[in-house]
Amino acid sequence: MASAVPGPDAQAVPTAPRLSARGLRLAYDRRVVVDDLSIDIPSGGFTIIVGPNACGKSTLLKALSRTLSPAAGEVLLDGRPLASYRSKAVARQLAMLPQSPIAPEAITVRDLVGRGRFPHQRLLRQWSAVDERAVEEALAATNSEELAERYVAELSGGQRQRVWIAMVLAQQTGLLLLDEPTTFLDIAHQYEVLELCARLHAEGRTLALVLHDLNQAARYATNLVVMKAGRVVAVGDPAQILTAELVEDVFGLACVIIPDPESGTPLVIPRAARTGIRHPPVAEP
Amino acid sequence: MSQTTLRAGQWLSLTVRRRSLVVAGIVVVGILVSAVLTLTLGRLGIALPDLVPAILGSSSGPDKIVLGVFRGPRLVVAIAAGAAFGIAGTLFQTVTRNPLGSPDVIGLTAGASAGAAAFGLLWPGILPLPVGALLGALAAMLLVWLGTGKGFSSPARMLLIGIGVSAMSLAFVQFVITRAGLEQATVLATYLNGSLASRSWSDAAVIWASVAMLLPCALLLSRRLQLMEMGDDQADSLGARSGQTRLLAVLVAIGLATAAVSVAGPIAFIALTAPQIARRLSRSAGPNVALSALMGAFLLTFADLLAQQLPFEVQLPVGVLTAILGGIYLGYLLVAQWKKGTV
Repeated sequence: MASAVPGPDAQAVPTAPRLSARGLRLAYDRRVVVDDLSIDIPSGGFTIIVGPNACGKSTLLKALSRTLSPAAGEVLLDGRPLASYRSKAVARQLAMLPQSPIAPEAITVRDLVGRGRFPHQRLLRQWSAVDERAVEEALAATNSEELAERYVAELSGGQRQRVWIAMVLAQQTGLLLLDEPTTFLDIAHQYEVLELCARLHAEGRTLALVLHDLNQAARYATNLVVMKAGRVVAVGDPAQILTAELVEDVFGLACVIIPDPESGTPLVIPRAARTGIRHPPVAEP
Repeated sequence: MSQTTLRAGQWLSLTVRRRSLVVAGIVVVGILVSAVLTLTLGRLGIALPDLVPAILGSSSGPDKIVLGVFRGPRLVVAIAAGAAFGIAGTLFQTVTRNPLGSPDVIGLTAGASAGAAAFGLLWPGILPLPVGALLGALAAMLLVWLGTGKGFSSPARMLLIGIGVSAMSLAFVQFVITRAGLEQATVLATYLNGSLASRSWSDAAVIWASVAMLLPCALLLSRRLQLMEMGDDQADSLGARSGQTRLLAVLVAIGLATAAVSVAGPIAFIALTAPQIARRLSRSAGPNVALSALMGAFLLTFADLLAQQLPFEVQLPVGVLTAILGGIYLGYLLVAQWKKGTV
């Protein structure tokens, strides 16, 4: 069982992936969203999963983080089935930020971040100096120290997202899974969150994100996973796999791909001809 | 820092919020004052200097009867039943992530009323009234469980089904009352309002034993419940196993609420208001199990004190008072949530 049979999508990676999935079937009740999917999350990599709405990318992330148990197949963490670990033991290795976490009423930033320490705590040892330090470090890593005593409810969207990321950082795991962490943020705050992720990656963590924006994904990912209708259709270095044909096939969007003048990564430019409007009419004054 | 850590050696460290401690202290004083007033006020009241000897058992005569029969058991039941309602309320509200998710709203108290009506009037003499209430409450919760599906996993559905079950139970009560004689209906109505009059020491033993057994369970669950406030996915990914936690919390809450209902009748709104007041006063998130228990105990003893001492011709059942006060509060809560757009 532990000897994983490489699936069709398995890539040659330098070190064994800490997190991988074999033959996953994921379903909500009877509705199968993902079937027979295999994937590796390369250790030390920055994996970004993209795909059209309802292609199963968030569902996959849930399965990888054990918030959804697969109907078939298995997720392996360090070579062992995820289901064979105790819940708290998984949470000490792997942290997940869902798409829309709910901030409890009347909670301060410090308390919220402190909740990330739960998997390290025991019933009679609820708060130690180690916990204290982990919270301080998480606040510092996200530049949120000055928010510590404020109520989460009164923060702006960008600040709130930073605080949520601080909470998963306080978990002190090597693996971080984030489901659309940039949704509902303006463009500056989107890049702020992505830069933070890039920094966490540079510090040695393994990241896996679900994102909507192809250009952001291409710029930040070291490993791009493109999904369509519950299947992985392409995996690898974005510069090599992100082609106009792939985008047309997966998203149904005609486009050209040019190098990003800033980073050199692929930049997806939708074709204007598709709408038939090259020069939008100027509104009458 | 708003939080203090109690430490003993390397393996014991419990976190306590300072503000919560202060609020708890004030509420305990409130309970003690209500208790002393309950025993000393009024025509039968024990004079203040005689109170300590009476409690220590060294007095005789009328004081002994007042303490041992009239007011003592009533007070002792009020404290524990209030605490039970408070804990049940905070557990339900955390699990449903909604301040409206209290035993009053999700059909437990209404189910208890229906059970009491059934065994009090429809098939009298088979079972005592409190046991009937217990069965009714359990049946209502079984219906809610079946209707919600997957072990209460959808809080919104649990609320909706609960409101439906509640309405059905109350319709059943009305049906039974229309078939009853006037005298029987009056007796039933008194019980259905929730009353602490003429409680016995065996009632006190039942409710105190229930609280003593289930309060530790609630406290054990409270840290995992805190995480569930952030959504099931987040709780699961932190290792708090939301499904299991929810099921256990609901079972503990049902146990406490049915125990309280069976000794005190379906007293309205303590379970709804106590946790909310506790949360607002302590300004802390999470199920405040201990504080909700104290607040529930205070609200019920204070309401019962009012019920006994207010100058009415007949003594009001305490449930009428809590219903009036709680109804106002429920209205406020609904308006507040409606403004926020969450209802």
